[in-house]
Amino acid sequence: MRKVAVVGAGMTLFRRRLLETGKELSFLATKMAMEDSGVEKKDLDMVVMGSAPDAFDGIHMKGENLLDGAAAANKPYVRVFNGGGTGVFAPIAGWWHVASGVADVALVVCEEKMSSCFPHPQTAFQHIWDPVLDRPLHPNLIWLFAMEMNRYMTVYNIKKEDIARVAVKNKRNAVGHPCAQLPDEKITIDDVLNSEVMAWPVQRLDISPPSDGASALILCSEEKARQFTEDPIWVDGVGWNIDSTMWTNRDLYFPRYVANAAKMAYKMAGIQNPRKEIDFAEPYDPFDYKELHHMEGLLLCDKGEAAKLTREGVTQRDGDLPICPSGGLLGVGNPIAATMGQKVCELYWQLAGKAGKRQIPTDPQVGVGQAWGDIMQMGTVIVLRRG
Amino acid sequence: MGRYYANGYCYCSEAGVKKMMTTKKEGYPKYAPGTHVSGKDIANKNVTYTWWEPEVQYSWALGPANSRFLQELKKGRIIARTCKKCDRVIVPPRMFCEYCYRPTDDWIYLKDTGTVETYSISYLDPNARRIKDPILIGVISIDGASPHHGFMHYFGKMKPEELHIGMKVKAVWKPEKERTGSITDIKYFKPLKGGGK
Amino acid sequence: MTFLEKQTDPTAPMHWRGNMQADYLYTSGVAGDKLFKHIMKNDSFLAATCPKCNKTYFPPRLYCEDCFCEIPENEWIEVPPTGSIKLATVVTIDTYGNKLEDPKVVGMINIDKTDGAILGILKTDNFEEELRGVKVEAVFKPKNKRDGTLKDILYFKKK
Repeated sequence: MRKVAVVGAGMTLFRRRLLETGKELSFLATKMAMEDSGVEKKDLDMVVMGSAPDAFDGIHMKGENLLDGAAAANKPYVRVFNGGGTGVFAPIAGWWHVASGVADVALVVCEEKMSSCFPHPQTAFQHIWDPVLDRPLHPNLIWLFAMEMNRYMTVYNIKKEDIARVAVKNKRNAVGHPCAQLPDEKITIDDVLNSEVMAWPVQRLDISPPSDGASALILCSEEKARQFTEDPIWVDGVGWNIDSTMWTNRDLYFPRYVANAAKMAYKMAGIQNPRKEIDFAEPYDPFDYKELHHMEGLLLCDKGEAAKLTREGVTQRDGDLPICPSGGLLGVGNPIAATMGQKVCELYWQLAGKAGKRQIPTDPQVGVGQAWGDIMQMGTVIVLRRG
Repeated sequence: MGRYYANGYCYCSEAGVKKMMTTKKEGYPKYAPGTHVSGKDIANKNVTYTWWEPEVQYSWALGPANSRFLQELKKGRIIARTCKKCDRVIVPPRMFCEYCYRPTDDWIYLKDTGTVETYSISYLDPNARRIKDPILIGVISIDGASPHHGFMHYFGKMKPEELHIGMKVKAVWKPEKERTGSITDIKYFKPLKGGGK
Repeated sequence: MTFLEKQTDPTAPMHWRGNMQADYLYTSGVAGDKLFKHIMKNDSFLAATCPKCNKTYFPPRLYCEDCFCEIPENEWIEVPPTGSIKLATVVTIDTYGNKLEDPKVVGMINIDKTDGAILGILKTDNFEEELRGVKVEAVFKPKNKRDGTLKDILYFKKK
């Protein structure tokens, strides 16, 4: 398999509703990645689009709708989708294209327009549930995550304050990000604990907002990468794994699918001691407890230990193991697939030293990004390394 | 780098923040393209938009497993399937075991009691509107099935404070003539008398 | 492999009826918003020309698909709402298969001075005649009733 490098990245503003259509959002993100790297449409061999349910944008077969904004007209093109895991899975699919040798330069675009679904994207989420066993009970998606959070908190006896600390950290981290939807310099743990209870134990400030947005990434083979940049960042390991849909038949306290995906990626990257060898991580954080849940799934700490590390400040930007230096989904926004902007583009910007106000001071060499999707099933992991 | 604690949580150290804010390398993304449209812009029609109300109807085939499961619920019973290879009793039943990847073996009836696996106390109704009296929802592992095997359902006849993980509960059924062959033939699960922790 | 149990009772397998209910609000996009706002106030169209390949897009776009460059403001032009029919067909049944009382003629109309086309309803009493190449012009709703969507164009009629 060939070595694959990241040479450019781009992302749009993330907001609850943007004027641009899906095609225009894809164009804006791709244009930024192209400006950054010097790659033009004629240099692209293949394009991968990552976009989560058609039901948000309200356009069936939305991969086909978005392609001209993603520079894919008259090119080999594929759309991949696994719910929230798409943000890291689309770059993995891009990696397949280049590592296998069928493409030298591949563009990966992720786009989401959740605002089209009226009055709230929750309406589209209702259709994830099993029509026979779950929908007659009229469930709300927040119940699902509240139940997982409850199980996790109970098994390890974790207090809400430790979980709220994650929301505070990420919203503060997002202050340096130009695309951020909910950056907040002054937020405190009490603000989070006093916010309204949606479905106990989930409170309003525990949740990331639905957003519109797009992000793009350009992947190259080793030789081509040297043409576009002196400082390529290598894709060192990829992993993906999915668990059964029957979520009521699983113990939700530990995401074993994330652990399996992480093991696959670490094996490829030659990482044997993740806690020591990985410099920073971007786990998926649509809820604050998910960052802790996924830190354990990524084997960055022992089971039940993530809350302690957060309390001790280890996961702050200047800590020993910065987690979500971009501000994550809690701070920057959650346009499902387009979160590639925080989870993979951010790894690239940090490793290349280009993250500006968000730059981790300890000169990172290896970063891991992770996404999570479907009904608490999909784990996708990517490891990027400098030099 | 050094950290300090105040008001019960951890700040980045002053020196760390100073270093981050004065870094000379330019930050990416250099700009954030996109045009924000607020709820007011939509209400005041400051931007044009097209409204669409699709009408899509479905008739989902249930398959042999869910068909039998719902028919048994109509009769007031919970039924499961067994997989001899991994020794599981699976509820809701399925015709194939997704881990062994082979057909499941036999039908088996279960009791209508169980243990609370996890739960939530929701102040949002199914349309995300706020409600005063919360809905109690959770996953119940059914007695007789393999550990952590069960389904989602409501809880009733209890105060929110009584609900806890590990609580023993029992199904409350609709009267026979009101049952239609649906998961809602069970109204909710209530505390099992003599159960407790 | 097949399941170990045979279905012998034909009434046993059940179906579950339901729908996927959701409403949608589609913003017109940066380019679309400009076009529809223009149509709300004027009886003409806007098109956009790519500065590199000179392709004139109708409906106008923010970017050129082929050159993949942004089309700047000054490359937008106003064009009259006229065109010629490229393809047409007579529609006699509705979405659900019921016969329409009044058949509709629907066509793809090449818009003059652009490289683009648009779908539109053609107002005609004669369904037999050859429509390809026929010159048509758009008829709009009265200005005070226009709401910034494609329906502001009522139909196309022969010039």
